[in-house]
Amino acid sequence: MPLLDSFDVVVIGGGHAGAEAARVAARGGARVALVTMIRDAIGRMSCNPAIGGLAKGHLVKEIDALGGLMGEATDAAGIQFKVLNRSKGPAVQGPRAQCDRDLYAAAVQRILAAEPNLTIIETTVSRIAYEGNRVSAVILGDGARIDTTAVIVTTGTFLRALMHSGEAKVVGGRFGEPSSDGLSDSLRAAGLSLGRLKTGTPPRVLASSVDYSRLDLAPGDAVPRPFSILTDTIALPQVSCWTTYTGAEAHDVIRRNLDRAPMFSGQIKATGPRYCPSIEDKVVRFADKERHLVFVEPEGLEHPWLYLNGVSTSLPADVQDAVVRSMPGFERASIARYGYAVEYDFVNPQQLTPSLEARSVEGLFLAGQINGTSGYEEAAAQGLLAGINALQLVRGREPVILPRDLAYAGVMIDDLVTLGTEEPYRMFTSRAEYRLLLGCDSVYERLTSMADALGIVDEERLRRVTSRLQRTAAAREAIEGAELRPDRETLAWLLPLGVSIAGPTTVAGLLARPELDADALFRHCGTTGQLAHLAEIRGRLADEELEGVVNRARYSGYIEKQEREARNLRDDDSLKIPPGFHFERPGLSTEVIEKLKRVQPASLGQAARIPGMTPAAVAVLRINLRYELRSASGAGRGA
Amino acid sequence: MSGNAGRDTIVAPATAPGRSAIAVVRIDGPDAISIVEALAGRELETRRATHTSLRDGNEAIDDAVVVVYRAPSSYTGNDLVEVSLHGSSYLVGKLIDVVRRSGARIAEPGEFTERAVLNGKLDLVQAESVADLVDARAAMQSRLSLRNLSGELSRASESMRATLLDLVSRFEAALDFADEGYEFVGRAEARSLLESLLGEVRETAATWSRGHAIQAGLTAVILGLPNAGKSTLLNFLCGTERAIVTPVAGTTRDLLRETVDLGGVPVTFVDTAGLRASGDAIEEIGVGRAREVARTADLVLYLIDSSQGVTDEDRAELGQLRDPIVVFTKSDLAEGGEGAISVLAGRGTKELLARLDAEVNERYAMAEESPTVVNQRQRGAFDACAEALEGALAALRSEASEEFVAADLRRAASALGALTGAISSDDIYREIFGRFCIGK
Repeated sequence: MPLLDSFDVVVIGGGHAGAEAARVAARGGARVALVTMIRDAIGRMSCNPAIGGLAKGHLVKEIDALGGLMGEATDAAGIQFKVLNRSKGPAVQGPRAQCDRDLYAAAVQRILAAEPNLTIIETTVSRIAYEGNRVSAVILGDGARIDTTAVIVTTGTFLRALMHSGEAKVVGGRFGEPSSDGLSDSLRAAGLSLGRLKTGTPPRVLASSVDYSRLDLAPGDAVPRPFSILTDTIALPQVSCWTTYTGAEAHDVIRRNLDRAPMFSGQIKATGPRYCPSIEDKVVRFADKERHLVFVEPEGLEHPWLYLNGVSTSLPADVQDAVVRSMPGFERASIARYGYAVEYDFVNPQQLTPSLEARSVEGLFLAGQINGTSGYEEAAAQGLLAGINALQLVRGREPVILPRDLAYAGVMIDDLVTLGTEEPYRMFTSRAEYRLLLGCDSVYERLTSMADALGIVDEERLRRVTSRLQRTAAAREAIEGAELRPDRETLAWLLPLGVSIAGPTTVAGLLARPELDADALFRHCGTTGQLAHLAEIRGRLADEELEGVVNRARYSGYIEKQEREARNLRDDDSLKIPPGFHFERPGLSTEVIEKLKRVQPASLGQAARIPGMTPAAVAVLRINLRYELRSASGAGRGA
Repeated sequence: MSGNAGRDTIVAPATAPGRSAIAVVRIDGPDAISIVEALAGRELETRRATHTSLRDGNEAIDDAVVVVYRAPSSYTGNDLVEVSLHGSSYLVGKLIDVVRRSGARIAEPGEFTERAVLNGKLDLVQAESVADLVDARAAMQSRLSLRNLSGELSRASESMRATLLDLVSRFEAALDFADEGYEFVGRAEARSLLESLLGEVRETAATWSRGHAIQAGLTAVILGLPNAGKSTLLNFLCGTERAIVTPVAGTTRDLLRETVDLGGVPVTFVDTAGLRASGDAIEEIGVGRAREVARTADLVLYLIDSSQGVTDEDRAELGQLRDPIVVFTKSDLAEGGEGAISVLAGRGTKELLARLDAEVNERYAMAEESPTVVNQRQRGAFDACAEALEGALAALRSEASEEFVAADLRRAASALGALTGAISSDDIYREIFGRFCIGK
């Protein structure tokens, strides 16, 4: 067997998870190989041409703060930026960008190409080789062998992938791309059991065949806000999207042809996502809804296709034609590529540790859709953490686990390994119990210094983050204790706003009043001469930074409450359960013991989150853990 | 220095509920000493039994004996205070309430011992027995709950939880699926829902006094004008010559208590000084005490001498009483009407007992049918839930965005979750996806 080379880390797959994993491990100093079937497909957007959204946008910001690439690539390819939930509070506003799919893939490939420690190998993988319970090598399709310490499997929907379009079935994980079958056996050989999931994609329509006068315009924000701290301005021209809908005619056609839909005919048995249902699913489950909204999204600046967000389907081609042509504006539309469903193997993530490593085999990491998630952002965030943890393994350092109150990425991974998943998992803000602490405006504060300590943050990013944090800290400090006296100018300014102050009033208190615009307040400070330095400090902040400062002042009551609650969670999360801990303990029921053995929680906090754990069981576990911890350290604590 | 286990301060009674010579309340954690010092209004010496009065603001709680233990030299290894009160569950409840308001929380079953283990004050064998204890306590509690038909309580809190779950899921949907074109939750509707839920939670929390009364027993006060036959009745009820009985009005001056089993519930009857303005200083104090105990008593018996008939004074007194049970006495001297008794002639006494029995049943047997909170821990859960619901209502009223409402609703839900199991985010999604067509 020819030995190709040896690497510290081998990443299998070049999707959003694989790209982040390979980049971060290389950035941290590991020698990394990324093996992909098609080099040009690296960073490809296999479904909708957009990045971000609620909670997903939060993940992208976290990735940026941790030194990942998704934010940068999005800024380089973004053709419509929009912050969603503008009408809600700051913590639940999520940035989203429509992207040019070709430019996006090109940006990812450019970023990877710039990484000196990273080698891209275009070939198939036949299997992963193990020695004892450790990863030893990756065997390529041609029999060549790459020795390695860590393997990160990021194969998305490509394991034993089967595409359905009506009655037709084609083997493959994405249109025109093959399936990858040998790896499923390698994962089983590692003691992992596999399940099946399903996902789908909607038809693409020729942009030239659509009557835009019949569509509603869905514009982006006037001033696009970049995802990455590395981006100063968005360079690409900005475009608009549109909306249309499916009505009675489309729903009738679908109902008449349900027996030809693979999901209903029994041809697909796997579970699909509830939050991204196919149009046939929507018509059946919500029979009384007369219309379903469809977002019409360009696939790129020059791209000839439109993406129909909302009509994911695996119905046969003739039904898709009829459905599409029933929508206003699409009467003469021609479909460039029909929608299809994909069934694929996934690994229930309860079999992984919180560092995304298979519990049964050291050095085998899994990230992305293979862990039962959906979405580019979910995949990328896992890829980043798997890459970091593979790096830590290679360097012989402790794994990195993000707490639930620190990052959505931490919430997601903890959910995955603790609860497992039976349908594709998507990030929602409501999955985080301390959501108010996880706003986009605080990502750099929360995450970058930790990432820097791991040696994975580039100099320019670090410089920008440091400068930003200094400026916002200075602003907070200046606000703290600053008081505005009700002099004549101040009263004259406040009166028309319906605000009255009796004596000196703290600026923080004024910022907490929603009827006062923060920017106007700082401007006023500049004019009264009382607090002129505040106007100056405001001048040094970008709008986004100002928002962060104001939000902190405005919502401090809620934030502090959640911080207090989060501290209790941290206590339990910091009580680690050692590997090999025996869960058969007096006081625990058989049912609880069985659950604990299946999940093998890494901390008491994680154990407490397993569904079905009782408060009494957690108490028993806690007492046992504390005791063992103390006896293991060889000395009881002196009184 | 406080030990590792015990970041927050906990409080619980250390003695069994009910009447006793003394009752001990234990407070453990970083704020234990400062809380009690604030109530005592003075510094307390370590490991010295200090006799001091405890006050909640202007209101006296009790004269107590307080012992302060400083970490690590205490049972738990933390700062720990033991307060010995007069043995009344009312006083114990009051002190615990005040301590809770000062920032402590009600201890979980076995938590003091757990802290002792976690701080290395007990060894493994003891730890195992604590583990058993945690279970045994829970089992005892569930047996107790069963006896009080607290299955009802679980069902009631389950149904409140379901209402909350529904509401949380709709607020969450409004945040996570803002562009789906639904109005997931109307604010006015949410407000009225929450207000009625809050009412329900508060009502349930308030049943604690009833549930607790059943566990700790009831107090029945015997009131009436001088010489109405109060002491005679007490003696009859307890079957001994407990009270001095003379024809002289104003013989009884202080409170006399005797406990009798009535319908399976221990009922403490309190004989009191006859209600009148006598001008006698001692008697005045006695009358004051009588009125005081009448305010907190579970049952009030008001005795009227049949030979005197209903006087204006009687009418004035009756007007101030809550649900009094009126008993005409001395029916051997004059026709007292239906239900009148004469202890001397042995007339109507059996009927009176049956009537009291029925009253106790009617007023307190309700606890067997409606959800009843029987311990401080349960009550703490409902109180915490109510507090969070108030927060959610305030957020709604101030037009705050959904995530702030949701934050409080989740706290409310997890407070109930402590009783019946937590709400997982997956429950929320099941709700959302079951009802709305979500997803593009």
